[in-house]
Amino acid sequence: MADLDGQPSQRVMSNNNATLHDTGALFQIAEPEERAPSKRRPGFGIGIDLGTTHSLVALAPEGRAPRVLADAQDRPLLPSVVAYTGEEPVVGADAVAQQEEHPQAVISSVKRFMGRGIEDIDFSHPYSLDVDEGAGVIRIEVESAAGERRLSPVEVSAEILRVLRDRASAELGEEIDGVVITVPAYFDDAQRQATRDAGRIAGLNVYRLLAEPTAAALAYGLDRGGQGLFAVYDLGGGTFDISILRLRDGVFQVLATGGDSALGGDDFDRVLAAHLLDEAGITEPTLHQREAARIAARTAKEALSAVESTTVSIAVCDIDGVELRRETLEGLLSPLIERTIRACRRTLRDAGVRARELDGVVLVGGSTRVPRVRALVEETFGRPPLTDIDPDKVVAYGAAIQADILSGSAREGVTLLDVVPLSLGLETMGGIVEKIIPRNATIPISARQVFTNYSEQQTAMQIQVVQGERELASDCRSLARFELKGIPRLPPSMARVEVTFQLDADALLTVTARELMTGTKQSVEVKPTYGLSEEEVDKLVMESYDFASEDYSARSLAEARVELGRVALAVRIALGEVGHLKDILTAEERAAIEAALVDGDRIMAAEDADGDAITAARKALEKLSEPFARRRMERALLAGMEGRSLHDIESALAAEEAELDERRGGHSAEIIEE
Amino acid sequence: MSVAATSAEEADYFACFGIERRYAIDRDALERRYLELSRDAHPDRVAGGTTRAMRLAVERSSRINVAYRTLRDPVKRAEYLVKLGGIDLDRTGGDGGAPDPGQAFLIEMVELRESLEEASSSGQAALDRLRASIESRSEDCLDAGVDALEDDDIRGAAMHLVIHRYLQRFLDEVDAEAGLDD
Repeated sequence: MADLDGQPSQRVMSNNNATLHDTGALFQIAEPEERAPSKRRPGFGIGIDLGTTHSLVALAPEGRAPRVLADAQDRPLLPSVVAYTGEEPVVGADAVAQQEEHPQAVISSVKRFMGRGIEDIDFSHPYSLDVDEGAGVIRIEVESAAGERRLSPVEVSAEILRVLRDRASAELGEEIDGVVITVPAYFDDAQRQATRDAGRIAGLNVYRLLAEPTAAALAYGLDRGGQGLFAVYDLGGGTFDISILRLRDGVFQVLATGGDSALGGDDFDRVLAAHLLDEAGITEPTLHQREAARIAARTAKEALSAVESTTVSIAVCDIDGVELRRETLEGLLSPLIERTIRACRRTLRDAGVRARELDGVVLVGGSTRVPRVRALVEETFGRPPLTDIDPDKVVAYGAAIQADILSGSAREGVTLLDVVPLSLGLETMGGIVEKIIPRNATIPISARQVFTNYSEQQTAMQIQVVQGERELASDCRSLARFELKGIPRLPPSMARVEVTFQLDADALLTVTARELMTGTKQSVEVKPTYGLSEEEVDKLVMESYDFASEDYSARSLAEARVELGRVALAVRIALGEVGHLKDILTAEERAAIEAALVDGDRIMAAEDADGDAITAARKALEKLSEPFARRRMERALLAGMEGRSLHDIESALAAEEAELDERRGGHSAEIIEE
Repeated sequence: MSVAATSAEEADYFACFGIERRYAIDRDALERRYLELSRDAHPDRVAGGTTRAMRLAVERSSRINVAYRTLRDPVKRAEYLVKLGGIDLDRTGGDGGAPDPGQAFLIEMVELRESLEEASSSGQAALDRLRASIESRSEDCLDAGVDALEDDDIRGAAMHLVIHRYLQRFLDEVDAEAGLDD
């Protein structure tokens, strides 16, 4: 067991296969770049409840009571459904209207795909899925009017967030400053990272991811103002959470959390739909029949929360006016609801709390409207649950309150101490998991572990990070593989690399490594198992920016400046080093290059500088200096070859190339190095 | 060894909460102090600040959380005091590592495992009886360890706590056998 941030225990590295991986979004490798303190704008923070079936945005500016924003038709809930049927994606009720006709191009319940691998998708859905080669990111293949698209669940979620962002900025009359997005408490690292990425792609500054039950407790706890011990039972469209929280001395402390990130009202609908199809004698439903049955099942389920009996008609299934009673529904749902109750008992045990010690039980999520759910929760906790705040809105209220605090408002707030829902571990020899951070540990938290080499030849090692409670790594979720490289060649057990696992307040993991003999930072190359790469997120962020045209030209101008500046600097350095050698550079060539440099300076300095002109100047300079660069390289090569074997030269070249790569730091090659 | 440098730069957890370094603590006072420190150190306090401020807040609150986790738990607290006394139960052998519990005890553990197999085949009641007897022995062991700590006998405390660990691991096996893990 690794010490939590104490003196690290040690372990022998397991293998030394060195392969390069992309740097993932999951981890930060080097020191993060220093970010200037952003100017926060109090009152311009918003809270978003990004739900499986519907999403909401709420505001609680500068200490005011939270309120949910409705659309132009006065509808507060935005169905979490995105239609890719036309040129532009359509979100919400208009997308729902197209669902029956285009089951494969209208995406609902995308939250169930967030941060998941193809092997996690064990529920029925109408989509055509594909997985990226290498990385495990799911792509939903959609035929739209704009052509075939391969969408990641993150992009689809970003569309939903964008609509809510626009709703909020229209209300505030200004761009919003930042957002708190809620996630199920039971979301693992990959699911949280995917949610954060969706926020970034939607052009949002994500202050914080907040656990949904914690958000609900915040909305309730502040109303009550005192101290207390609460359970929050949150059954949404696709996820179930149970959290036990304590409020004391201005701190909301989550004692334990549990749940199932793939269980919710959607499953209720599916079970009932399967029953309806079965009753109608349809054993192999078409996509349309399945979708129609699902939609009818939801309507019937909702009706049965208020009445004892309802009738169901589904034209495409030849079902006409079939009676459905509440007890039939309850019989079908019982196994699912029982699963939530077992999780409640386990979580109470983890929290070390007995049901009778609780001061209140809060119900959250639309699925808690089902009478059988309420009855079983009441039985389990021995008290009637609190439902005074609309269970559909309470999470968004809590998110808005926290967003207001984080935007810098003077609002009197509580500090939220959340926990990591699932243990983090490393795969060890034989595929066994060694836990490094146990579930329900209060976050932020860190743990360290020291790895030693097993032979002098070992200069790298691969490590797999997993999350879950099972003994075998293959039964847990793989979060990422990372590789430690550049381990010094030392006798066995002498090289010591300390790896730090840091969970931040969003329960997102960062891994850093340091060689203890030399104290140098080690490079850690990380490949997230299910996340989008940092590059893809950046690209999507860029694509999504609604740049006003002047912003656009300002950016391309800035980029053009940087490019020209870099090329000019490289040419000047080369001139300084070898420009005087006549066999490399004639006087005429030198004059032409110097003229081009002066030209470039003049164009850059101009008041009304234009990106295209700067780029043209850079290209001219590159063209003029190319023969010079080539000759310079040849000369260096010749000088290097004297008296050396071919093998020596090859390895010297490789070393030089590596050094150049390092200096380039991933940027494109400069002209003098071509 | 360079590992020592890592622990040397850390003040001990008791100092972190401003309480006396000993086993008996006022849990309520510890919790109040923990909540107070957490309010002050939480990264949300510096939201919108520099990356550096954010990182420092994350590191500081991580430390507070680890310290609280250790001190509020009776077993972890005892083991930590032993560690501060120079014996690290997470390391095996040599100076400063976990002491060897002795041949006789290890043979007894083997026998205990055999009795677990027997109890497992003769039903829940037998498992419960076995569990109860080992649990009470484990608690005695922890008490003995704590007594040794109060007497400043680090070596003695370490030995009791090592045996306590073995017994706890055995109890986990009993629970797994009884299917209590869910």
